[in-house]
Amino acid sequence: MPALSLPRSFRPGLTLGGLIDGRGFDTLLVMTALGYLAVFSAWPLVYNLIMSLQEVDLFSLASFDRPFVGLGNYRDVLGAPEMPQIFRNTAVFVAASVSLQLAIGFALALFFELRFPGASFLRGLFLAGWIMPPLVVGAIWSWILAGDFGVLNYALKSLGIIDENIFWLSDPARSLWSVIIANIWLGVPFNLILLSVGLAGIPEDLYEAAEMDGATRVQRFFTITLPLMRAQLGAVISLGTIFTLQQFDLFAGLTQGGPSNSSNVMQYWSWQLSFQEYQIGLGSVISVLMIGVVVGLAAIYVRSTRHEQVY
Amino acid sequence: MDRLKGNALMLAGALLAAIYLFPLYWMYVTALKSGTEIMAYPPSFWPADPTPIFGEVWGRLQMASYLKNSVLIAGGTTALVVLFGTGCAYAMSRVKSVWIDIALFAVLMMQVLPSSLMVTPIFVFFNQIGLMDWPRGAVILAQAAKMLPLYIVLVRAAFLQVPAELEEAALVDGNSRVGAFLSIMVPLARNGILVTGVLVFLQSFGEYVYARSMIGARELQPATVGLQSFMGPNSSDWSGVMSYAAIYVTPVLAIFVLLQRRIVSGLTSGALK
Amino acid sequence: MGLNKTAKAALLATSAGLLPLAAAAEQTVLDLWTIDDPGEYHYVLAKEFEEANPGIKINVRTVQFGDMINDLARAIAAGDAPDVTYVDNPEVALLAARGLLLDIAPMIEDSDIVNRDDIFPGPLSSVTWKDGIYGLPRGANTIALYYNADMFRAAGLDPDAPPATWAELKAAAEALSDPDDNVYGLAFSAIATEEGTFQFLPWLQMAGGDYDHVDTEGGAEALAFWKSLLDAKLASPDTLIRSQWDSTATFNAGNAAMAISGPWELPRMAKEATFDYRAAMLPVPEAGATRASALGEGDNVILASTNHPAEAFRFLEFLYAQMPRVWNEFGYLPAAEVAVENPENEAIYRVFEESMKYARNRGPSPEWPQVSKAIQGAMQSALTGQATPEEALATAQGKIDRVLD
Repeated sequence: MPALSLPRSFRPGLTLGGLIDGRGFDTLLVMTALGYLAVFSAWPLVYNLIMSLQEVDLFSLASFDRPFVGLGNYRDVLGAPEMPQIFRNTAVFVAASVSLQLAIGFALALFFELRFPGASFLRGLFLAGWIMPPLVVGAIWSWILAGDFGVLNYALKSLGIIDENIFWLSDPARSLWSVIIANIWLGVPFNLILLSVGLAGIPEDLYEAAEMDGATRVQRFFTITLPLMRAQLGAVISLGTIFTLQQFDLFAGLTQGGPSNSSNVMQYWSWQLSFQEYQIGLGSVISVLMIGVVVGLAAIYVRSTRHEQVY
Repeated sequence: MDRLKGNALMLAGALLAAIYLFPLYWMYVTALKSGTEIMAYPPSFWPADPTPIFGEVWGRLQMASYLKNSVLIAGGTTALVVLFGTGCAYAMSRVKSVWIDIALFAVLMMQVLPSSLMVTPIFVFFNQIGLMDWPRGAVILAQAAKMLPLYIVLVRAAFLQVPAELEEAALVDGNSRVGAFLSIMVPLARNGILVTGVLVFLQSFGEYVYARSMIGARELQPATVGLQSFMGPNSSDWSGVMSYAAIYVTPVLAIFVLLQRRIVSGLTSGALK
Repeated sequence: MGLNKTAKAALLATSAGLLPLAAAAEQTVLDLWTIDDPGEYHYVLAKEFEEANPGIKINVRTVQFGDMINDLARAIAAGDAPDVTYVDNPEVALLAARGLLLDIAPMIEDSDIVNRDDIFPGPLSSVTWKDGIYGLPRGANTIALYYNADMFRAAGLDPDAPPATWAELKAAAEALSDPDDNVYGLAFSAIATEEGTFQFLPWLQMAGGDYDHVDTEGGAEALAFWKSLLDAKLASPDTLIRSQWDSTATFNAGNAAMAISGPWELPRMAKEATFDYRAAMLPVPEAGATRASALGEGDNVILASTNHPAEAFRFLEFLYAQMPRVWNEFGYLPAAEVAVENPENEAIYRVFEESMKYARNRGPSPEWPQVSKAIQGAMQSALTGQATPEEALATAQGKIDRVLD
């Protein structure tokens, strides 16, 4: 990583004129948005951090005058018997959701880029997933996946794929995957539309030139499409990861993390501890750990890819 | 592309869409089914005795007021996000600096937690500064913070696709930075801004956690809160719930499908080439 | 939430057109939170109370059952708590122990309407914390065994002799279960929420344990019995994630021959169950064993922060006085010694009325949610086979001991 010196282009303007016309203009624009986020997003996180070090009672939320317990809450959370399982579930949930959403979304985006009649209309239909309130999505999927009368089991049985009903939501080996399926359904439209926008931005003549040079379809994908989609792919993956970590309603609607924590993830566990057991200190610890892990992983990733970044 | 191939692809596309849309179809069918039919096995793919209760649900739950609030909250959030986010996204696309990378990184990392874990601190904070006197405004402020990172990241990508030479030419022509930004850059990135704005609007239209916690008065609540209030733990009126959901989703879906065509045609023949 | 109370009252008054213009000035306004929807208990009775007490206006707001405590906490933090609210009965201790509720014991002493000795012991214990009384039960409920008498006859069982012991219950479930026709013997709920605790506690109590004392031989037997029902597919595997309401829906639809749930099911059952349904008391471990049943429903409580304690108590008295109506009009059992005239579903009413005698309060403990969570954890880890019933209950006992001391 290069030294943290202010490059020439980012030297803040010192005059009012500089703010609206010079390099200070950029600083002003960035700082306005960051200031907004600092007030409305960073503050709750700091609040969580403070609470994670305190013994918090649900009914003393408004005052900071609470006993500090040091790292006691962290010890309790990290030592909890369900912790390893929930941590593993979270990793599986995020990795599977993001990669499958991306794969399906990208495949669909490429497919609809073939510009057959009705392609754009059909693509538009896929956006239904994005506008459905997650509450409703949870309810619909819980019927579809229901073990005894669910339509998915019925379909699989009719097609001869299974003989016995699968208890998607209550079988500990499958419950997490049920939530993943529903989450992929929710996430595909987002991937599809953004990657479509990216694909549409690639100049046609690049492909034509490559085709004249004798590049096959596959070669063109790897030499033109993928490199030119870097920005979009990066955006989709990072936002997809965040949306997946934020996913909450599906757990509430489908499995409530059960049975026996088999589909529980950090964000839902944190909520359970804070708002069902009213152990807000412990719930806050999980929030802090989540942010810590994500920031750590993202920093490693950014560092490792830094030298090849092509903005 | 020959016609036969085009038709085959269209068929394949329609099939994929049909599979994907099955849950949506299930929502509509359930809205038309009776209580016991919903639980019946084998499931019926078409209601035995379709009974549309859309009008009744609309009237009984006074959905007009809910939907008006949803539109207000989504619209306010989108306006705020566009106002704060566009400039930031632009600056982040133009300036190459490790600080910008760090800022972008921070913007993303601030949104790792779901609303359900953010809402309590936000509530306490808003209450202390008196924002709770404007509950819908409070929801807009909180939701805008949640949507800003998404907007910044995506619109930044759109600005990145605009060649820097165009802006430099404008500056050489005597435009100020502000002038070049507003008259050259924003119009050239308008499709990205529009698409992202629509995404933000739709997500905010479905916002639930903040609204539920911050808006007490029924006449100020959005449609998601109205929906939740009648799909409580002992809800038996699933066809009612799904009718409500259908009323809520269908117009947006229709508008979006239409708008999406415009966006895509704008993109494919747009000024970017 | 932000509007002040008079403004809220004015707003409601104009929108509903309820009040004569002159009355708006001098009124006392009580904020009431409830889990009811319009047309149910609190809405109906608040209106009747307003008519009988023109000087008091009740502002009713619906809060989701699962959100009640969190919303109260936020409102208390914001200094915007209601005057009167509904609280689920195990959670009264949680609030009372933190000094958030008004002790109404002295007011009850002076009351002509409420006589504390009339209140059944279970419900009374649910509003009692230390020496104080912090609310009045609005009613009560408990669980019993519903059964499909038509299926009993078809399976050659006597519908007039429903299962009375665990062994009989299992035998009946085996006889009634019909996988080819998608019929399970029994529907109940072992979900990892308060409902799961609510369903499991009586089994534990019948076998000689209680909420603070789960690691018992009887407790392990009870849990092993539940597991044997699931393992033999006499109950759906989805029992682990279904609420009582959703489980009973399968009974109503004819996909389960028996169901364990409470009287709140009856209105829907009357509409949807097209068969001869009846109820029996929860089966006991063996003939002659101690009975136990769950105590459900909630209490009307007054927040300590209220500015109108006298008016709030008058409202509580008024609600309490409606106890004889709660079965027929709202589907709860009376929580006190009152005469119910012409009860609807009389045979089923008698079963629940009798079960109420054995209904025990959950807790009281100011940390009830953590106790409950430990019990749910034991239930689910044993039923999914991740631990033996003994191990699961020992783990839960460890957690409960830590919470309670």
